[in-house]
Amino acid sequence: MKRLLTGTALATLAFAGMGHADTTIELQRFFGACDTEFGNVTDVSQAVGECGIITALINKFEADNPGIDVNVTTVEWPGYDQLNAQLASRAAPDVVTMHYSAISDYQSRGLLDPVDDILAAQGIEPSAFTDAARSGVTKEGKMYGLPFDNWTMLFHVNLNLMKEAGLVNDDGTPILPTSVDELFAQGEQFKEATGKPYLVQVLANETAAYTRALYTFLQQQNSDFFADPKAVDLTTPEATAVVELLKKIYDEGLTTTGMDYAAAVSGFSNGDGGIAINGTWLIGDYVAQSEKEGTALSGGYTVYPIPQLFPGKDSTYADGHGWVLPKKDRSPEQVEAIGKLFKSLADNDFQWARTGHLPAVQAVFEMEEFQSLPHRANIAEIADTGQSLPPEVLRQFAIQDIIGEELAAAVHGDKSVEDALETAEKRINDLLDNI
Amino acid sequence: MAESYRRSRWSNALFVAPYLVVFFALLVFPLFWGMWLSLNKVDLFGGGQFIGLRNYARVLSDPVFHQAVRNTVVFVAVSVPTLVGLGLFLALALNKTTRGSSFLRGLYFSSSILSVTIVTLIWRIVFIPNDGLMALIFNVLGLEPIGFLSTKGWSLFSVGVATVWWCIGLPMMLLLAALQQIPADLYEAAALDNAGKWRVLTRITLPSIKPTIMLVAVIQIVMQFQLFGQALIMTNGGPAGSSRPIVMYIYETAFIRWDVGMGAAASELLFVIILCAAMFQYWISSRKEVA
Amino acid sequence: MADRSAFSPENLTANRTLFWIAAVLAALMLAPVLWILGLSLKNNQDLMHGTDAVFRAPYTLKNYADILVNSQVFGWFLNSLIVATGQTLGVLTLCSLAGYAFARLEFPFRRAIFIIVLFGLAVPEQAVIIARHQMFNWVGLHNTHIALMLPGMSSAFGVFLMTQFFNAIPKEIDEAAMLDNTSQFRIFWKVLLPLTLPAQATLGIFTFLLAWNDYWWPLISATKKEMYTLTIGIASTQTNFAQSEGLGFLSAQAIFASLPVVIVYIFFQRHIVTAVSGGAVK
Repeated sequence: MKRLLTGTALATLAFAGMGHADTTIELQRFFGACDTEFGNVTDVSQAVGECGIITALINKFEADNPGIDVNVTTVEWPGYDQLNAQLASRAAPDVVTMHYSAISDYQSRGLLDPVDDILAAQGIEPSAFTDAARSGVTKEGKMYGLPFDNWTMLFHVNLNLMKEAGLVNDDGTPILPTSVDELFAQGEQFKEATGKPYLVQVLANETAAYTRALYTFLQQQNSDFFADPKAVDLTTPEATAVVELLKKIYDEGLTTTGMDYAAAVSGFSNGDGGIAINGTWLIGDYVAQSEKEGTALSGGYTVYPIPQLFPGKDSTYADGHGWVLPKKDRSPEQVEAIGKLFKSLADNDFQWARTGHLPAVQAVFEMEEFQSLPHRANIAEIADTGQSLPPEVLRQFAIQDIIGEELAAAVHGDKSVEDALETAEKRINDLLDNI
Repeated sequence: MAESYRRSRWSNALFVAPYLVVFFALLVFPLFWGMWLSLNKVDLFGGGQFIGLRNYARVLSDPVFHQAVRNTVVFVAVSVPTLVGLGLFLALALNKTTRGSSFLRGLYFSSSILSVTIVTLIWRIVFIPNDGLMALIFNVLGLEPIGFLSTKGWSLFSVGVATVWWCIGLPMMLLLAALQQIPADLYEAAALDNAGKWRVLTRITLPSIKPTIMLVAVIQIVMQFQLFGQALIMTNGGPAGSSRPIVMYIYETAFIRWDVGMGAAASELLFVIILCAAMFQYWISSRKEVA
Repeated sequence: MADRSAFSPENLTANRTLFWIAAVLAALMLAPVLWILGLSLKNNQDLMHGTDAVFRAPYTLKNYADILVNSQVFGWFLNSLIVATGQTLGVLTLCSLAGYAFARLEFPFRRAIFIIVLFGLAVPEQAVIIARHQMFNWVGLHNTHIALMLPGMSSAFGVFLMTQFFNAIPKEIDEAAMLDNTSQFRIFWKVLLPLTLPAQATLGIFTFLLAWNDYWWPLISATKKEMYTLTIGIASTQTNFAQSEGLGFLSAQAIFASLPVVIVYIFFQRHIVTAVSGGAVK
C-alpha cells in the first residue's frame, strides 16, 4: 500500500513537471454547502442565497482560471474552533472566511498574513472599498483580509400590519420612530390596533442581538465606551439609558418574548409582530415571501436601518465578512492565484450584495443593478453610518457573550440595570486584563 | 495447580499491558499535561509563561464559575436519582421475555443512540415557543405557554428532561442484565416461603443487584457532571447563566476567550469535583453495607 | 416442570401494572420522535405557517432526497462507520483482556493499578483534549481514521465494566479448567470469554454509540472535509442563518443521521436480549 502511494506521488510529480501544474487553493468557509443545487452553476446571476452565490462565484472563478483549482471545505458556523485547531497544528487552509470582529484576535497573535501587496499586484486600491469595510480589516495600518461585505441589524417591516396600525405614510412608506418617545408611542398604537407586539426580537438563547443593540444605541449617543481598547466603560448614563430602553420595551409588552433566533426569523414571516430587528442576510428571503401570495408578508415588506433614536448621531453597529490568509509559506504561483481569486471576488461583489449584505466595494453602490435591487436604496446609507468597534479591541466574540448574558438578565428583570452593566464591565475588563 | 494460577506473576500483567499503554498515553499523560498548562498563562498557539496557581485563584474567585458549579451540582443531584430510579423501575417492569417488553426495552434504549445534536434538535423543536410541540399542547389546553428555554429555572429543567430522555437506556440495560443474573433458586426459596411481592423485591431482588445499582449511580454521576452539549445548544447557558454547566464554562474560557491556562485550571477542578462525588457515593453505599 | 415458570424470576419481579405504566411512559418517550418524523415529511414552506400542518396532507420525501443528493454524505457515513467499528473492536479487545486480568489474575500492584484506572473514570474529556490534540499533532496523525478511534480506547469505563462481569462469573468454572492444565490464555479465550457475551454486547453498543455521536474530537482532529464524520459533515452543511427555519429539512437530517445507528442497534439488540437471558450464569 505504501509503495503504491509513493508510486502515485512520484507519478504525480513527474506529471506535474511535464505539463503546467494546477495551483490549488485550499479555501475554508462557512455559509453552508449546497453543491447539489449550485455545484455546476457558473452563471452567478442564476444563484440565490449566501450559499448559492458563494458556490457559484467560486465555480465561475475556476471556470475563468483553468490553471487554478479551488478546493472548498465548508465548516459549521462560525468555524473558529476548527480554524484554531488547524492553526495550532500548523495545518491551516490558504484562505478562510472571518468576521471583521475576529480578525484582531488572529492578527495580534501573528497568525495572519497582510494582503496589501496581493491586492496591489492585482491593481485593487484600498480606496475601492467602503470606509466601513476597509476599516473592518485594517489593523495597525495594514489590511489583513479582503473585505467582502458589511452587515448590520435592520428594521424589517411588515407593512400589512403597520397599515392596520395606521403607521404607513401616504406614499406607502412606514412611519418609523425618530426618538425613544416616538418608539413607545408608535409601539403602543401598533399593539392596540393589531393586538400584536410591535417588535419581533431574538431574546432567548442568544447574545448577539442584545450586544448589537447596545453598541448601536451607544454609538448614537456618541459614547466612546471603548476609548481604551483594553477596558470597556459601561457604567455610564448612556449605557444605562440603552438598557432601560430595552427593558421598557420588554416590560410594556412591545416585543415578542422567548423567541430564539430561528423562532424569531419564522415568527416575523408568520406575522407575529410588526418589525423584526434582525440582520441584512434575511432581506432576500423576506423579499421572496413578500412576492408570494398568501403569506403574512405578501405585498407588504420593506426594510430600513435601525432608526436614530438618540440625538447624538445616526449610527449602526456593523460587522462584516472578510477573506483572510493564515500565515504560511506560499509559492509565488499560489500568491498570484489567491490574488486572482480576490480580484474575482471583489469584481463580483455586486453578486454577493444580492444576499442582502451591503457591498464592500464602493463602486457597487453606484451600479444601476444594485440600486434596482429591492429596498437597497433605503439601507445604502449604512455604508456611511455603519461603525464597528475600534480595531484594537480583542476577543469581541467573548465580549459579545458577556454583554448579551448580562443584558438579558437586566431585560428579564433577573438583575437591576446597574448591576448588570457593572457586572458586564467587570467581567469584560477581567477578560481583557488577562490576555 | 490452582495455587500457581493464583500466584502473583509479572507475566499475568501482560493481559493489562495493551490497555495500560493506551490509558497512560492518551489519558494520564494528557491529564498531567493539562495540569502543567493550568499553571501557565497560555493560549492555543503555544508559548506560555509560568504563573503558578494564579489561574486557580482566578477561577475560584469568578462568580460565573461559582454559578456554573451550583448549576451542575443541582443538575446532577436531580438527574442522577431520576435516571437510577426510572432505570430501576423500567428494568423491573420489563424483565420479561415477552414480545411486548422486548419491544419496549428496545424503545427505551433507542433514544440513547442519537447524537447530542439530534437530541437537542428534537427537544428544541418540542420546547420552542409558537412552533413547538409543548406550545401546541398548551394552546390546545388553553394554557399560558411557558418559555421553557428562556425562563430561569425552566431552562435547566428542560435540559434535564432532554438528558433523562437521552440517557435512560444505559441504566435500564445494566440493571436488566443484573436482574437476570439473580440465581433462580433464591426466588424458588422465596416462593416456598410464600413471601409477598414487596418482600421479594426488598429482601431478594434489590439486595442482589445492589452492586449494579451502585455502579449505575457512579457512572451517571460521572457522566452528568460532564453535561455540555445539551445546555450549549438548547439554552446557551441562559438565561443569565442559570443553565451554564461547568464544562461549558471550560469551553468558553479555553476556546472563546483563548485562555487555555484558565480553562485547564477549571477542568482540573472539575476532575477533583467528580472524583469527590464518585467517592462520596461509594463511601455512602459501602457504609450502609457495614451498618 | 409445569409450575417452574411460576417461580421464575421474571414473574416475581415484573408484573402487569408495571408493564402498562412503562408502556404509557414509552408513548410519551416516543412522542418527540414521531413529531420530528412528521416534520421531516413536510415541505418547509408549509411548516412556515405553523407546525400543526404536520397533521394534514400532503407529505413529501423531498427533504430526504435533498440530503441524499449531496455526494459527500456517503463518504462521511463511511468514515463514521469505520471509526465507530474500529473503536468498538479496540475497546472490546483491550477491555476484555484487562478486565480478565484484574478480576482473575494476580500480578504486582494489581490493586493499585486498578484504582488508578478507576480514577480515570472521573477525567472529563475537556481536561485532556488540548494535550491530546498537540500529541497527535507531533506524530502527524490528524485527519486519519486512527486519530479518531484512539482516544476513545483509553476510556476506563469499559475496563471497569468488564472487570465487574468477569468477577460475576463463579470461580469454579475456571478452576475446573485449570485442573485440566489449560493455559491462562485458553481459559480466557475458550471458557470465560463466551460467558461475557452479554457484557460484550452492552459495552460494544455503548462504545459504538459514543464513537458515532462524538463531536468535539472529530471537529478539531478531522478538519479536512474528506475526513469529516457524519455528525461534523452534516453540521457543516447547515445554512440556516440565512434561511428561515427549514424545520422539515433539519428534521430529516436528524432522522437520516440516526438511521444507521438505529439499524445497527436493532441488529445487535437481538444479541443483547438472547445473551442477557440465555448467557446468564445459571
